[in-house]
Amino acid sequence: MNTLAQYAVDTVSVGGLYALTALGIGLIFGVMRLINFAHGELITAVGYGLLLLSGVALPVAMAGSLAIAVLLALVMERVAFRPLRGADPETLLIASFAVSFFMQKLLALTVGARAKGIDFLPRLGEPTMVLGLRLQMLQIVTILTSAGLLAALSWFLARTRAGLEMRAAAENFQMARLLGVRANRVIAVAFALSGVLAAAVAFLFVAQSGTLTPRMSLQLVIIAFVGTTIGGLGSLVGAAVGGFLVGAASVILQTVLPPDLREFREAFAFALVILVLLVRPQGLFPARGLKERV
Amino acid sequence: MAGAMTDAPLLAVADLEVRYGAVAALRGVSLHVAPGEFVAVVGPNGAGKSSLMLAIAGAVRPQAGRIEFRGASLLGASLEDIVRRGIALVPEGRHIFGALTVAENLRLGITVRADRRAAEADLDASFRTFPILGERRRQPAGRLSGGEQQQLAIARALLGRPTLLMLDEPSLGLAPAIIDQVYRLLGDIRAQGVAVLMVEQNAARALDAADRTYVLNSGLVRLAGTKQELIGNAAFDAAYFGVAMSGEAPPP
Repeated sequence: MNTLAQYAVDTVSVGGLYALTALGIGLIFGVMRLINFAHGELITAVGYGLLLLSGVALPVAMAGSLAIAVLLALVMERVAFRPLRGADPETLLIASFAVSFFMQKLLALTVGARAKGIDFLPRLGEPTMVLGLRLQMLQIVTILTSAGLLAALSWFLARTRAGLEMRAAAENFQMARLLGVRANRVIAVAFALSGVLAAAVAFLFVAQSGTLTPRMSLQLVIIAFVGTTIGGLGSLVGAAVGGFLVGAASVILQTVLPPDLREFREAFAFALVILVLLVRPQGLFPARGLKERV
Repeated sequence: MAGAMTDAPLLAVADLEVRYGAVAALRGVSLHVAPGEFVAVVGPNGAGKSSLMLAIAGAVRPQAGRIEFRGASLLGASLEDIVRRGIALVPEGRHIFGALTVAENLRLGITVRADRRAAEADLDASFRTFPILGERRRQPAGRLSGGEQQQLAIARALLGRPTLLMLDEPSLGLAPAIIDQVYRLLGDIRAQGVAVLMVEQNAARALDAADRTYVLNSGLVRLAGTKQELIGNAAFDAAYFGVAMSGEAPPP
């Protein structure tokens, strides 16, 4: 029974991390129809930001790294994606690959491609007893952070003026603009939010892995992207649930697969994805009214 | 404001050309709307009516011509800025946000308002002006009927307090009784001094409602005038349906 509960905590914490990543991707897709593969580089940048700021007080280092992610997201939008606004989703996707590779190479050139160790929040890795379960503090923090950010984002979207404008723009950007909603502002807010989400993911991810490489976020972003697809592209609830399900599925597969098959758990996970998409090609929570973009 | 300004049109469009690739949608259209005037543009499918609306609203970039509103050019201005200058467009198909509630749709209507307090009051007032929207304020707008959606789209546009309200096919897909309702509403709007520029396929309805009507066909204005001038004018049918254009009205 205890083992089961521990697996459950494991599943929820990994799922939460993927849900946050998928949400960051889903937010941008919602307003721009851009699948931003370079979202991973925002996460990576936060990791290296933490390394760069490892001399200063922890809260300052975290705030600084978060600022790096938000700033980088805004620069990315301004330099790479704004000139392509209104282009086909395929063009945008390829542009995001270009941004992603560019930033990976830039990091490799400046700080090196080799893995670097980082001792970020080491105490979170220690085991702790909660309700008779032997858990890692980090898992609990991950679950709480994910739940807190999901709640905060829901509140933002449902209750604030900027959130309302963002939902309107996601449903029908041109109509939103015809009502005076400023396209540049909505998109900038979405990118800034995706930067915040990337920073949160990076904190949790780096605390867990303890290493940095220029390509460290690739796996995370691919799985999160698969999550947004399963959930239904353009739907934020879908992105969160899809990201969570894919993350959770990989943990469950890791547990239930016979040891000699565990190596292939991603293959099993993606087989599940294909199965879902065969049954529901629009995803689990299809977005309503994908109308013309800016 | 000098006295000369009062004669100046609110909206003046001159020699407007819009092309989509090789297809010419507008081939030199000129028209004007005076302050508080109700102007209709009629014409068959594909006449260029929607392109005209979209060009004025800034959603489509014209290749040539001028668009002036209150004496200032609108060319190159963004959609967001044009609505702030006082032009609201209710596009064809209404384009309400189906996933948002009725109240949220209306709230988006006050995006351009700087006078926040008055805007909030107008928001409340619109639930009384449109009782059905008040009743259904918390429901997703996608669940409204076509007529209710049209009311919502118009109410939303009015919340921006436009000087010129543009409507693209306001009666499309609506039952006759609902169309009556929509036209009564447009009459009320006009009575409040808001100028209306309406595109309509239903020429009879448009002629009845409008002060002046332009007949658009194949991207050109073929005829213009009041209902009295156009009705019984044999050239009207020719202009509307695009047959045998003589340029002059044939003898009665």
